[in-house]
Amino acid sequence: MFVEDDADIRNILQFSLETIGGYQVCACSGGLQAIEQAPVFQPELVLLDVMMPGLTGPQTLERLRAQSGMRRVPMVFLTAKAFAHEVEALLAQGANDVIVKPFDAVILPEQIRKIWERSIGQ
Amino acid sequence: MPKSVVSAQRLHILVADDIPSSRTQMTDMLKSLGHQVIAVESGEAALQAVAKSSPDLVLLDLLMPGLSGFEVARQIRDTVTDHWVPVIVMSSLEGEEHLIYAHSNGADDYLVRPVSPGMLEAKLRHYARMLGMQNRLLGLARRQKVINDNIMDAVLTFDETGVVREFNQAAYRLLAGPNRPLSGQAVEAVLGESLVDLMHNNLTTLMRGNGQDFPAELVWSSWREQGRMQYTLVIHDLTERKRIDRMKDEFLATVSHELRTPLTSVLGALGLIASGMAGSLPKPVVEMASIAKRNGERLGKLIDDVLDLTKLEGGQMVLHVKPCNPYSLLMDAVDGIKAATDVENVHLHVSGTDRCPPVTIDPDRFLQVMANLLSNALKHSQAGDTIWVRLFFEGQVVKISVRDEGPGVDPAFRKRMFEKFSQADASDQRSQGGSGLGLYVSRLFVERMGGRIFCDSRPGAGATFSIEFPAASQAQSKPSASTVDTSRR
Repeated sequence: MFVEDDADIRNILQFSLETIGGYQVCACSGGLQAIEQAPVFQPELVLLDVMMPGLTGPQTLERLRAQSGMRRVPMVFLTAKAFAHEVEALLAQGANDVIVKPFDAVILPEQIRKIWERSIGQ
Repeated sequence: MPKSVVSAQRLHILVADDIPSSRTQMTDMLKSLGHQVIAVESGEAALQAVAKSSPDLVLLDLLMPGLSGFEVARQIRDTVTDHWVPVIVMSSLEGEEHLIYAHSNGADDYLVRPVSPGMLEAKLRHYARMLGMQNRLLGLARRQKVINDNIMDAVLTFDETGVVREFNQAAYRLLAGPNRPLSGQAVEAVLGESLVDLMHNNLTTLMRGNGQDFPAELVWSSWREQGRMQYTLVIHDLTERKRIDRMKDEFLATVSHELRTPLTSVLGALGLIASGMAGSLPKPVVEMASIAKRNGERLGKLIDDVLDLTKLEGGQMVLHVKPCNPYSLLMDAVDGIKAATDVENVHLHVSGTDRCPPVTIDPDRFLQVMANLLSNALKHSQAGDTIWVRLFFEGQVVKISVRDEGPGVDPAFRKRMFEKFSQADASDQRSQGGSGLGLYVSRLFVERMGGRIFCDSRPGAGATFSIEFPAASQAQSKPSASTVDTSRR
């Protein structure tokens, strides 16, 4: 599952994850949609944009984590904020990892697979 | 102030004498000397005239029925306190006791009757000079007050016990309130702290007259007056500046987000096309997509540089400095450029030791500077060249150098290469691709982290860029300005 308010980035994410990565995806345009869809779709990993209108990424993460069955699902932020202290702050809010924008759509599926394996291993 | 000197020479004089003939005689004498005269016949009338027409000088008969000259002199001293009115008493009495008594009552001088015109003229010329000086001083004080009242910052003076002596309009507007007058108040009542405490913090929070807190910058000066210390305090209200800083921060964050968002789509789409993942395309199309992608990445770098620059120059960049191992950071930086040097077939030779002492730096910013120096070296290298990277420790300083085998730097350009928008020449900008901001931003970062950046080069013999930082054991005893900034915000 990925949550991203920008439609073009959503399309690229969908192509990258579905076509290159071969994943089954659920694209959400905002935090509320993700919260609604999560119990139905039951994602194994959630990719979250940080700056979104309405619910922000961190707020969405908090509400998703509160759902039953979502507590241990790896959650990854996508952000244009790239500095270590900013990344640390996002990790401190409960994310398993942070991917920096602009990301490389070709290697993104592989990046996500590694994060998923590592998070599940923990 | 020549005007007040002239007006002081033509004095406005009050004559008080109960004997009509001597009053008339004195009036005529004064008029013939060019002065303006008001003549009254009693002590009571003299005091009324002083209050009503503010004479420059008073000539007083000592012996009058009703209020005597002694009493009139004393009352003038008691009532006119904001400037000096010379009082000259006139007497025909023998001896000096009554004159001593007149002086002790506030008289400045005396004339013996019958008054000689020569003596009168000499004394009046003397007092005219003194009054001219007084006018000049009063004029200066008035001008100073007007200037003070026009200053937008609050200005207050305190005596050595911390009592408010003077304040300007801005101080009144800022600090006075319905239950808080300023005049004669103790500094604690007005500013909430003692003089000593206030002098220790030039950045503090004070309370407005209406009870609201506000951030303030304080500037003190002191001087000695009659053996006692006096203090002037200028209070600069920082509320507006903080608000603008916040707006600028928000603006930068928004701009940064808004610029990067479309770039994410552009680069994502181009990356998918160039990699062939989005479907196979003719080779020239893929090549064009690669060019577009490369330049999109360059644009991203430029956005980062401009945002960094705006923050750095606005003093808003908060650095997160901590002791770091320079060797492992350098290895990270080298790893970052490895793919690009491989593509260009440029060798990377790295030498150094991981036994270097730590340096107190912001690791992200250090990596940014190193990426800049390494990509610069790569930009000026040809296939088959080597980039030499060296880390060493020398005289309490950790030094990192990056040497290329390119054409080197023109000595004329070397002087301004770390300035803003510096490019060796216009054609260089096109052929090498760069904003002219990289080295400037690098220099600002390195200097903010307490280090130094410089370049050695001879045209035709490559260029060596070096950065150096004091080893952390030294640097820690003296925290850098950026550490202080971080804690303040």
